[in-house]
Amino acid sequence: MTERTSQRVFAGVFLAPAFFLFTGFVALPGARALLYSLQKWDGLGRAEWIGLENFARLFQQGDLFLKALGHNLFIMGAAGSSVIGLALLFAALLHRRIRGAQLFRVAFFFPNVIAAVAVALLWVLLYSTTHFGIVNAFLAQVQSGCHALGWTWPNWRLPVPFLDSRFLIYSVVPMIIWEVTGFYMVLFLAAMEGIPESYYEAAKLDGATGFQQFRHITLPLIREVLTVGLVFLMISTLKFFDAIWVMENQTPTRDSHVLATLLYQKVFTEYNVGYGSAVAVCLFVLVFLGTLVSLRLSRAERIEY
Amino acid sequence: MGRALQRTAIYVVLGLWLVAVVLPLGWVFVNSLRSSQEFVANPFGLPWLFTGGPEGHARAEAWQQAKANYAKAWVESHFSSFFVNSVIVTGCSLVGIILISAMAAYVLARFRFRGGRALFLYFISGMMIPAQLVLVPLFFQFTWLSRAGSRLLAPFGLELRLHDSLSGLILIYVALSLPFTILVLTGFFKTLPGELREAGIIDGCSEYGVFWRIMFPLARPGIVTAAIFNFIGLWNEYLFALVFVSSAAKKTLPLGLASVSMQSQYKTDFGLMFAALVIVIIPTLAVYMLLQRQLTSGITTGALKG
Repeated sequence: MTERTSQRVFAGVFLAPAFFLFTGFVALPGARALLYSLQKWDGLGRAEWIGLENFARLFQQGDLFLKALGHNLFIMGAAGSSVIGLALLFAALLHRRIRGAQLFRVAFFFPNVIAAVAVALLWVLLYSTTHFGIVNAFLAQVQSGCHALGWTWPNWRLPVPFLDSRFLIYSVVPMIIWEVTGFYMVLFLAAMEGIPESYYEAAKLDGATGFQQFRHITLPLIREVLTVGLVFLMISTLKFFDAIWVMENQTPTRDSHVLATLLYQKVFTEYNVGYGSAVAVCLFVLVFLGTLVSLRLSRAERIEY
Repeated sequence: MGRALQRTAIYVVLGLWLVAVVLPLGWVFVNSLRSSQEFVANPFGLPWLFTGGPEGHARAEAWQQAKANYAKAWVESHFSSFFVNSVIVTGCSLVGIILISAMAAYVLARFRFRGGRALFLYFISGMMIPAQLVLVPLFFQFTWLSRAGSRLLAPFGLELRLHDSLSGLILIYVALSLPFTILVLTGFFKTLPGELREAGIIDGCSEYGVFWRIMFPLARPGIVTAAIFNFIGLWNEYLFALVFVSSAAKKTLPLGLASVSMQSQYKTDFGLMFAALVIVIIPTLAVYMLLQRQLTSGITTGALKG
């Protein structure tokens, strides 16, 4: 064998496992999902080509799809904005080299590495309407405390059924904030630590306050990482599944479905493979567009040091 | 004075969030020590195991109750087998992911050949594909793959079983983790000096020898970062385990925890639920404590893992 051929063989041998696994178990199934979305199929019998009918159904008035998508977008907006806001605040505070910064960083990040299923179950127990449900107990304390002060407000009807289908989409928002804020904080903090100290010194000489420094130095210089964080947050809220599925005992309702749970239910409990795949395709398009748009944005506004 | 006030305000804000993060976890641990009788009598105080409880309630008895919660979760509810399954699935997947990705990434990073760039983009494009898209087709693909494989293996008295098997799950996990891992490792192999390969070849190493003896060991920092993020993702994975594993003996920890929590016979056994949660959280906490430095320093990499 010449050296050139043996090098080619080497490259082929090393690339082959990844190529075949990726093609066979990611790329081809991905393409097949597109085909499924154009069919009517119960998973067993013959599939029937129906063109874009599945997609037409998704966007019909009153269909579950738009409702579920709305829930994803609500979570994205409500939880996402709080997460980004809190993460920026905590990162900015820790960036000032305070004592114990390491402790805060380690503790804040931790919920992020716990399984989403375990986090969901933890919040099921926190929200419990039984005697040990600590959130309801806390609300009761607040309420009786306020009444003792002679106020007529608040008048919550306790215990609040947080886990009721009607409220579930709202109840998962604090859970998500609790779970992921630390991740984004560490992400932003890493970016902040890359900013040269001299910028801040110059700003201080010019008499800039802490907030002005944050607004005019920190924020513009971490813009790129901020965009990465936003995209990541959008994608993960679009794929949201575990908590709803567990909290709803595998049977979400009109009020609590998100895209991924709808997909699962349509395919694996109603055997409507075409419709479920159409949901998956929409999910893919949204993730794809979100990634593309924000990558373009971050590149356009790249700032040179 | 103003500075001191500012400092205090910062600590108050951070301290409040610290409490919000740590308190629920401590609450879970404390409650895992209560008996069902204590849940009614003493839902919010320190557990009787610490305080001794009301009169006539011996501490030894509280200790028995606490142990009973864990024993029920570990043995009766099969968390021991969930745990072993999770270790097997995560461990085998990680080995597969790292080896296969490192081999591909090394060639993509260090060799120039026609179509190399296109192949790299092909792999990376997989990061834009949400796992939910491939979930359904994979489900049906596994059915006919198992059938075809079993026909092929029949003369040897073997059968190929991809549904409801740990190996099927490992196969999926490896394939789905390739794009992220190849991206990270290709970036890493590019930073290694090319002279190392030439030196190795001159010393009589083959291309394979260069990779296994020189490049792979040198890539350790990149491999560790990739492995940590894959570990967290796979150890906690729920959706694919839910779809592809059905028998109780093959469930992984997240799947087992979810299904136990949804069974009505356990629903009111709160001591068991809390103990199960502790069992699931503790290993993660231990790994996190060991690796948190690498984890937080590689965070910008982790954000790519969508």
